[in-house]
Amino acid sequence: MISTPVRVLIALVLGLAIGLIYGWLVQPVTYVETTPDSLRADYRADYVLMVAEAYDGPQSLDTVQRRLASLGPQPAIEIVQQAQDYASKNHFSQEDVQRLSTLAKAVTTLPSAPDIGGP
Amino acid sequence: MRRTWVVLAAAFILGLAGGLYYAWVVNPVEYVDSAPDSFREPYRQNYLILIASAYAQTGDLARARARLSLFHDPQIRDTLAALAQRELARGGSEREAQALAALAARINETASPASNQTPATSVGTVIASATLREATFTPTPTPTPRRTPRRTSTPTATPGAPFELSSRQTICDPKAAAPLIEVVVLDAASKPVPGVEVLIVWDNGQDHFYTGLKPELGLGYGDFTMTEGVTYTVQLKDSPNPVTGVSSEGCTADDGTSFPGSIELTFTQPER
Repeated sequence: MISTPVRVLIALVLGLAIGLIYGWLVQPVTYVETTPDSLRADYRADYVLMVAEAYDGPQSLDTVQRRLASLGPQPAIEIVQQAQDYASKNHFSQEDVQRLSTLAKAVTTLPSAPDIGGP
Repeated sequence: MRRTWVVLAAAFILGLAGGLYYAWVVNPVEYVDSAPDSFREPYRQNYLILIASAYAQTGDLARARARLSLFHDPQIRDTLAALAQRELARGGSEREAQALAALAARINETASPASNQTPATSVGTVIASATLREATFTPTPTPTPRRTPRRTSTPTATPGAPFELSSRQTICDPKAAAPLIEVVVLDAASKPVPGVEVLIVWDNGQDHFYTGLKPELGLGYGDFTMTEGVTYTVQLKDSPNPVTGVSSEGCTADDGTSFPGSIELTFTQPER
């Protein structure tokens, strides 16, 4: 015969387990309003690649800076280098690698990322 | 006995509440690996603008399509066109609005033979692997060597060859809600050209729009609602020859009533 305190403990643990399962698996907190800084690594690399593709010269460096700043507070060059690392590990085409390299060169001239809040 | 059950139930509920509190508040599932379709609206719009800007530079329609597909938006063409209009209305970047308009105009085109030769997997390892991961929840994408994506040809006007007015006619449509200046821009091969900026100037104002924002009416089509009695000057950006004296002209319906007609201006790029 199981004693009452043990039963209480079992009920407590059972409730806790069901609560965790429900909260983490069945109905987890969903973030439907995320921002680019939470992007998964592959999307993040593609985001930087898009910035590189859209980059058409020093006159668009402000736009580059604004776009990269939405990926987080790190310096733009760091963000681009992370994308370059990803590109290298995932066998991006030579053309894309070249684009990222051009962007990396361009952003070395930028000051550290401005403090840009959400729109 | 009954008291025991009450105690057990209370313990269970307490545990459940504690579990939920921990799972939802203390240590919720963190979405550090989010996808673009979960973005807050302004970021979503910025992402679309970035896709369009990248497309404007590379002309890689297949890659732009792959990127747009992440948003699972069946009306993506309308979304892009509306965003282009919004950018113009709020005085945003004209280049970005133009890029959005051009992409909106082309997004539903049948893939060109060149792009057909580029399989989807070579559109971009990033996008391809992202899609793969989305479907399979594989923690890391399998690196796949990819071919250099071919650029799809983006029909644009030949640089340096300004468009010229090739026809001007009055359109009498009694069902039209208001008279329009309808602009159609064609290249030298008579193919419609989207993304051409059209300037409209009148006595005390001016406005502009781009062709291709209403793809259902033609990729080279754009229009502007006229006010009766006002005379407009229409000019394609980078074209030296404005079309002056454009105003609504009187039309007569079958029942004898008169109504203001629209003006259709067709601009064509001369052959070289």
